[in-house]
Amino acid sequence: MLIDSNVFYNCPFDKEYKPILDAVIFCLKFLKLNPVLASQENDGAENRVDKICRLISSAKYGIHDLSRIRASKKGEIFRLNMPFELGVDFGARKLAPENFGSKSLLILGSEPFRYQAALSDLAGSDIRSHAGEAIEAVEQVRNWFAEKLPGETPGPSLIWGRYNDFLGDNFLRLTDRGFNERQIERIPIAEFMDDIDRWLQTNHIS
Amino acid sequence: MSKVVIHHVTPNINGGWSVRKGGSAKATRVFKNRDEAVEFAKKIARNSKTGLFIHKKDGKITKYRSFEKKSA
Repeated sequence: MLIDSNVFYNCPFDKEYKPILDAVIFCLKFLKLNPVLASQENDGAENRVDKICRLISSAKYGIHDLSRIRASKKGEIFRLNMPFELGVDFGARKLAPENFGSKSLLILGSEPFRYQAALSDLAGSDIRSHAGEAIEAVEQVRNWFAEKLPGETPGPSLIWGRYNDFLGDNFLRLTDRGFNERQIERIPIAEFMDDIDRWLQTNHIS
Repeated sequence: MSKVVIHHVTPNINGGWSVRKGGSAKATRVFKNRDEAVEFAKKIARNSKTGLFIHKKDGKITKYRSFEKKSA
């Protein structure tokens, strides 16, 4: 069953992408949405495809970031997980409209129009470019949801400012608890999401 | 942990670098480059005895400096 607040976020989980991942997760939570990610849960017993299907079938919204599917250096493997998961999400909407017809999908890329050329089947989809910048990703995600969510949506500058406030407050809280800068950067995604929830409970201004 | 007043130097969504007081919706001032913003923010933080976060282009923190008054 689709949950209106769930957003399936399909993206890379590497060090280079992490600033965008963290900023988009904060943006979604600030908008009172619930990001669901494959890396969030570590149940080794569950087949990965089963997990992806379970998450996709729970999420009214999908964000699929294809910005890093191209190998960045010689010998690096071409990344197919992201387009595969986009295909599953897209297929669910098309093949089972009675259950998933209300799904909305946003495709993010680093360059405008790059994916229409590589994957012409995406024509007509919502594709936006973040140019590889976290600040731009927040603005694009916020603007897309402003067209989808009821009521007024906080502006991109406000969300970005609150994200920076959160990073600062969380930095002080974690260093007080004995974390160093490297450990703060490497904090598991589920713990990072809990930190955002805790902070927003007392600091949400919109 | 007590809540301390903080200033931030962060990338501005419309370009340039902002100096902004933590919790404030608007920037105190926007500069073309980060060095100018850092210099201005240091003066404010020093005068108002607050903490200062300097962020990277991706929003992550690169430096924290406290100008808070040391308790005796």
